[in-house]
Amino acid sequence: MTKNRTREKRFAFFLGCVTPFREVSYETASRRVCEELGIELVDMDGVNCCGLPIEAINRDMALSMAARNIVIAEEMGLDIVTICSGCAGALTKTNGIMKENSEVRNQINKYLKKIGREFKGTIEVKHFARVLLEDIGIEKLRKLIKHPLTALRIAGHYGCHVLKPAAHMKFENPEDPTFLHELIELTGATDARYEGEKDCCGGMVVGVDTDIPLSQVRKKMNHVKEAGAQALVTICPSCHLMLDSNQERAGKPFDETYNMPVLHYPQLLGLAMGIPPEELALDELKVKADEVLLAIKGLS
Amino acid sequence: MTKSWGTFTSFKGTTIEIAAPDFTEVVKKLTGGKDLTACFQCTKCTAGCPVTEKVSIQVHEIMRMLLLGMKEVLETDMIWRCTSCYTCQERCPQGIDVTDILIGLKNLAYEDGIGPDAYRENAKSVLESGFAYQTSGFRRKKRDAKGLPALPEANMAEVEKLAELTGLKALLEEDEAK
Ligand code: SF4
Ligand code: SF4
Repeated sequence: MTKNRTREKRFAFFLGCVTPFREVSYETASRRVCEELGIELVDMDGVNCCGLPIEAINRDMALSMAARNIVIAEEMGLDIVTICSGCAGALTKTNGIMKENSEVRNQINKYLKKIGREFKGTIEVKHFARVLLEDIGIEKLRKLIKHPLTALRIAGHYGCHVLKPAAHMKFENPEDPTFLHELIELTGATDARYEGEKDCCGGMVVGVDTDIPLSQVRKKMNHVKEAGAQALVTICPSCHLMLDSNQERAGKPFDETYNMPVLHYPQLLGLAMGIPPEELALDELKVKADEVLLAIKGLS
Repeated sequence: MTKSWGTFTSFKGTTIEIAAPDFTEVVKKLTGGKDLTACFQCTKCTAGCPVTEKVSIQVHEIMRMLLLGMKEVLETDMIWRCTSCYTCQERCPQGIDVTDILIGLKNLAYEDGIGPDAYRENAKSVLESGFAYQTSGFRRKKRDAKGLPALPEANMAEVEKLAELTGLKALLEEDEAK
């Protein structure tokens, strides 16, 4: 499909629920960075949950809800961008299944017909990280870096659903992804490699068993510390929620303290692009990023 | 043959008890389920699973229990502690969509009225507001103050209709009646 340039920079913006529920800082920073990059985010009217949180209870309903969201974007004539890996997982996966599997498409379209809608398969769904890489491109982004963050060592948390299931996400090899390393290096920071970069945050089961995310957070924090990182970056509100707000609970039983700032990737990119920290909602992080800001103060 | 080192020497005439063959057939119809018999118990799925230390039955064991018709899978900690990380699915050398099967099993469990409340709560919230997590008035005000656009309002008539058609609504009502 060939696209004209204006369309490339205009997206239907699927916000999802975890971001407004607990991670407004992520939205603030993402919108600010998009403004700087000339990406227009068109809000989607009448959308609902992406479907992921109810996949466990009723898969058909999850698919129908995801498909309904996609149909709204089809009607807008825009590709979807989302900053949540969970939403990207649900929407990109559903889009792929609906396009490729006629049996599922017919079944879900039967439901959608009853609400006067139809899935046509005319748009793409992308996580914001992919838009940066595929629609803007590293070369162009590099030219926009005004303050390379050379004083920083930053670790990246990939998360699961932006990459998997790979058959539907069609992004990078989930066993050996590189996009987050590239995005970190783009900012001028050193990419701090560590054990378990791709490990799950456990957030999906936080309502069932808090022990799982807490032990995932503990492992991650220890590995990131060992790597000498000053901060960790995430590209998902749920991963961020687990990793930023649970450090104390995760470490306490083991007499461990981490104090590891966890930045939303657009915050890091924004800093490197010269956007003032106040406009990137850095003060809203639970673990404060003061030392990170101090380390880059006066850099230019 | 000069000597036999055991009394069981042949499968001839032996039947292996399948606990509930119907259950296996139901599972085969789930997304990914048609490949159940391709599992050769290599344990690669378990090797990459982030919750192995937290469960008493491992995911490769679930796969075999399904073939043996053991409905007990629905009450194992494995399916409920599974984070849906898809690592098993990506790594299975037999191309089995293991995570999708686990999701299907969770659906079956809810049809039987079992399963943790967390997902039920998500579903109830979706039927109330269209979203699994509802942003509080306090946070909405905070967003307004920051100049962020108003949150989208879901079309509840459409959400409810879909919940009826997919059986989600009936499922929640049955749970409520219990
Ligand atoms: S990785 Fe696949 S074949 Fe191997 S035990 Fe697991 S499900 Fe079976
Ligand atoms: S999807 Fe579930 S079973 Fe598979 S590796 Fe992840 S946690 Fe384990």
